[in-house]
Amino acid sequence: MSSITVQPDSPSVRDALSRIRNFCIIAHVDHGKSTLADRLLELTGTVSKRDMQEQLLDSMELEREKGVTIKASAVRMIYQAKDGNQYELNLIDTPGHVDFAYEVSRALNACEGALLVVDASQGIEAQTLANLYLALEAGLHIIPVINKIDLPHARPDEVAQEIGNLLGDDPQHMLRISAKEGIGIEAVLERIIQEVPSPKGDSEAPLQALIFDSHYDSYKGVIAYVRIMNGVVGLKTKLRMAATGAITEPVEIGVFTPRMTPTGHLSAGEVGYIATGLKSVRECRVGDTMLDAARPAEPLKGYKPAKPMVFASIFPTHAEDYPLLRDALEKLQLNDASLTFEPENSSALGFGFRVGFLGLFHMEIVQERLEREYNLDVVITAPSVEYEAVLTNGEVIKVDRPADMPDPSRLREMREPWMKIEIFTPAEYIGPIMELVTKRRGISESMEYLDAHRVVLKYAMPLAELIVDFYDRLKSISKGYASLDYQFDSYRPGDLVKLDILINGDPLDSMAMITHRDEAQRRGAVLCKKIKDAIPRQLFEVPIQAAIGGKIIARETKPALRKDVLAKCYGGDVTRKRKLLEKQKEGKKRMKMFGTVEIPQEAFMAMLRLED
Amino acid sequence: MNTGVYLHIPFCSARCTYCDFNTYVGLEALFAPYVRALLAEIAQYDGFPAQTLFFGGGTPSLLSPEQIGALIEAARSAFQLPPEAEITLECNPGTVNLGYLRALRACGVNRLSFGAQSAIPAELSLLGRDHNWHTVVQAVQNAREAGFEHVNLDLIFGLPHQSLCDWEHTLHAVLRLEPDHLSLYALTLEPGTPLHQQVRRGQLPSPDPDLTADMYEMAEALLGEAGFEHYEISNWCRPGKACQHNLIYWRNEPYVGLGAGAHGFDLRRRYWRVRHPAEYVARVERGQTTEAGDEPISEPLARGETMMLGLRLLQEGVSQDRFRARFGAPIEAFFAAELAEGTRRGLIEVTEQCVRLTPRGRFVSNQVMQWFIPDVAAVA
Ligand SMILES: Nc1nc2c(ncn2[C@@H]2O[C@H](COP(=O)(O)OP(=O)(O)OP(=O)(O)O)[C@@H](O)[C@H]2O)c(=O)[nH]1
Ligand code: SF4
Ligand SMILES: [Mg+2]
Repeated sequence: MSSITVQPDSPSVRDALSRIRNFCIIAHVDHGKSTLADRLLELTGTVSKRDMQEQLLDSMELEREKGVTIKASAVRMIYQAKDGNQYELNLIDTPGHVDFAYEVSRALNACEGALLVVDASQGIEAQTLANLYLALEAGLHIIPVINKIDLPHARPDEVAQEIGNLLGDDPQHMLRISAKEGIGIEAVLERIIQEVPSPKGDSEAPLQALIFDSHYDSYKGVIAYVRIMNGVVGLKTKLRMAATGAITEPVEIGVFTPRMTPTGHLSAGEVGYIATGLKSVRECRVGDTMLDAARPAEPLKGYKPAKPMVFASIFPTHAEDYPLLRDALEKLQLNDASLTFEPENSSALGFGFRVGFLGLFHMEIVQERLEREYNLDVVITAPSVEYEAVLTNGEVIKVDRPADMPDPSRLREMREPWMKIEIFTPAEYIGPIMELVTKRRGISESMEYLDAHRVVLKYAMPLAELIVDFYDRLKSISKGYASLDYQFDSYRPGDLVKLDILINGDPLDSMAMITHRDEAQRRGAVLCKKIKDAIPRQLFEVPIQAAIGGKIIARETKPALRKDVLAKCYGGDVTRKRKLLEKQKEGKKRMKMFGTVEIPQEAFMAMLRLED
Repeated sequence: MNTGVYLHIPFCSARCTYCDFNTYVGLEALFAPYVRALLAEIAQYDGFPAQTLFFGGGTPSLLSPEQIGALIEAARSAFQLPPEAEITLECNPGTVNLGYLRALRACGVNRLSFGAQSAIPAELSLLGRDHNWHTVVQAVQNAREAGFEHVNLDLIFGLPHQSLCDWEHTLHAVLRLEPDHLSLYALTLEPGTPLHQQVRRGQLPSPDPDLTADMYEMAEALLGEAGFEHYEISNWCRPGKACQHNLIYWRNEPYVGLGAGAHGFDLRRRYWRVRHPAEYVARVERGQTTEAGDEPISEPLARGETMMLGLRLLQEGVSQDRFRARFGAPIEAFFAAELAEGTRRGLIEVTEQCVRLTPRGRFVSNQVMQWFIPDVAAVA
């Protein structure tokens, strides 16, 4: 379907489609996507100046506080273009953080175009490229936007050249804006009208609505964010979810402006929401297609569900909060289908959950939401990746917690996930970065110059090495300039061992870990030291050991308590003295016994909270 | 069973940096009314026999010999104190001269307790003490000259920056003064005190518990060689010079507490009086009770407290006879499991005569004592 010349005063279906533009904004973290979205909302009058606030679409409390987009959001704008026509623009703002790359890829399928925002002072970074490739793969028209030209150290010409090299576009032609100062925004809108193809689709055809996101509302059930590919949907349409087979009638249909505004119907080419009334996100999965139950069409190609990469156990600090923790995780899952969890029981920490995350940032977000939105005090064990254990009988099992690692006698081989990583960096940091990556068992694959000063380093590296503060180390050795992207590559065999921690000879399950044999000694020593500092002295000396199989590889000794004597008992104040002892005794009740060693719950928490 | 009388004098000339006692600086104007109030309260106990009298503080030696004399006289008659009754007065070595001490002796004080704390100038100033070591030496000499045969010195150890060597120096210096009695307290950093704050802010190192334990061991050895008996966890004495008043506390026997913030105990009930001296005076003047609160002591609680306190007595321990006489059954009848556990771990020794801490148990007495204290829930 090419360009359109229909009389303006006799609107046809095709004409309606020609007045729609669906686009998303993609970029590396902090390059200004959400700020640009603000300006677009303002300029189109979607949000009045009075209601405007910074990064308006970041509506979650945590997003606002961190200044980071976590969840994609959609909004409809009406724009009066210079060609005299009024257009419906559907914008999807996306997160830039690598953990949420899957959110980006979903949004892409709902659009025909993408604004690729690049910070004029930083240039192309890891997620710029990663997201660009996703957009190209999805067949989107790319409009590069060089942002932050107001910054004193902006170098828009160089950045334009970098992008030009990448896309084959003319650097002169590229948009240069300041989202913050509101410079060049109208040109962005005009460019969208001119360049982003209008959606294809047939309103007469049977309904196909792509669910690209969802959230849960306690009154309206699962609210599906949809892009209507073909057909129309109205309040009377009986809906069927292609993958799950769930049947429902819409409770409400509408568009985001950015508030949810009911319209009663959506037709081919449009982006909006359908409140399904369904009580579980499992029945209405992101990536699925909604069909008209009366006239079912073929489902659209969905996306692979996001797969958790990092696992950790979450325990409530107060055991009685366990049911609250379960509720909270269930609620979070309603809006975050990538979160997985199952109950688990630790001898040290009691009842909790084994939780799967997309990455460390995702884990941090979940922890903070539990603490803030649900007021829970939780403790999280050290993150682990999902290993594969090949048993002697050839069976392959997944192992994401140390306790599940099979006995060596049954084990033929352990495999661990390896990632492809890309590091964008100014050339001067190549040396230290190589050193860091090599120390983390990384294998160099290639190095390409983006321009005279910047390079892309490609490596393969075990995920397990990536999740122990690799990103922070990378940032610090490159003074913040290097950026990182990674993707799963493959499972590869590794010399992996289970490191047990023994207190007075008894294994402490929550501190066990799976680690590479070469790292075991160092990590064991660190852990023993950490535990030694965290546990109180006992009436006897307590050995703390790290062991592989039966073999001790590191050891610390907590000396016995030597002195615990109350000072002067003044003026017959026996009550006060007794109260002090009572308090001490009360404290002991909250202790766990490990054989004969008493360890207060707080000490466990302290051990887990301490950084390596 | 003996009964003690405790008189609290809540005034000091300066506040020490570690002190969280109920004491006040700059209330000189209250001295006279306060003494009057005490006299009035003592009078209410007319015909209530007691065996010891203890002036604690604060700094009782801020009062004049006349004031102290009047209080002793009133107490002697109200409590029918025996003529040889132990009458102790806590003194700041800096506030007493020979004349003052002679006057005290004359009006019946027969035991002096000096807050010496340390022989090291830097430590004295860290503690905010307003005297120096020479003053202590002088005060002890004067006490002897005034005829005191019972002189105690208080010392504090486990201070920030204090080395084992420093402590040894203080101990030797103190032994040269040939006191009859020594009280040695490991520093506890009480919340709210300047010293606690400085440690919390990192301006001072926090005391090392192992070093403090070494100091305690050193004191045990040195004082033992010098002929002192280690009769209570924090107290040493020359034979026959144990503090009779404090023995009453440790045996969990009754005592009357008089004055602001003082605690008293009559075997069934422990009470405490209003803390501020002005409030105390006002209440007495208005004829109101000065009690601010009390706590009934049930039998199980009394048994627990008897163990907690008695275990502090390292030789005497909790006497089997006294316990049986008071509670109608032997200690084992109530505390079989605790005694077994303590013996197994080598922290407690059970003999025909008593239950007491072993030398190892002394260091961790809190751990042992808490076994005997009933659970809070069980009492409530
Ligand atoms: N100087 C300047 N700062 C800008 C401009 N655009 C955005 N910023 C600032 O850059 C920071 C990041 O902006 P956001 O809009 O939150 O970036 P984002 O790309 O949405 O970030 P993520 O959602 O976390 O990936 C904010 O502090 C903005 O104020 C600009 O044109 N000039
Ligand atoms: S002299 Fe005693 S009561 Fe007075 S402030 Fe010093 S330590 Fe406290
Ligand atoms: Mg954003």
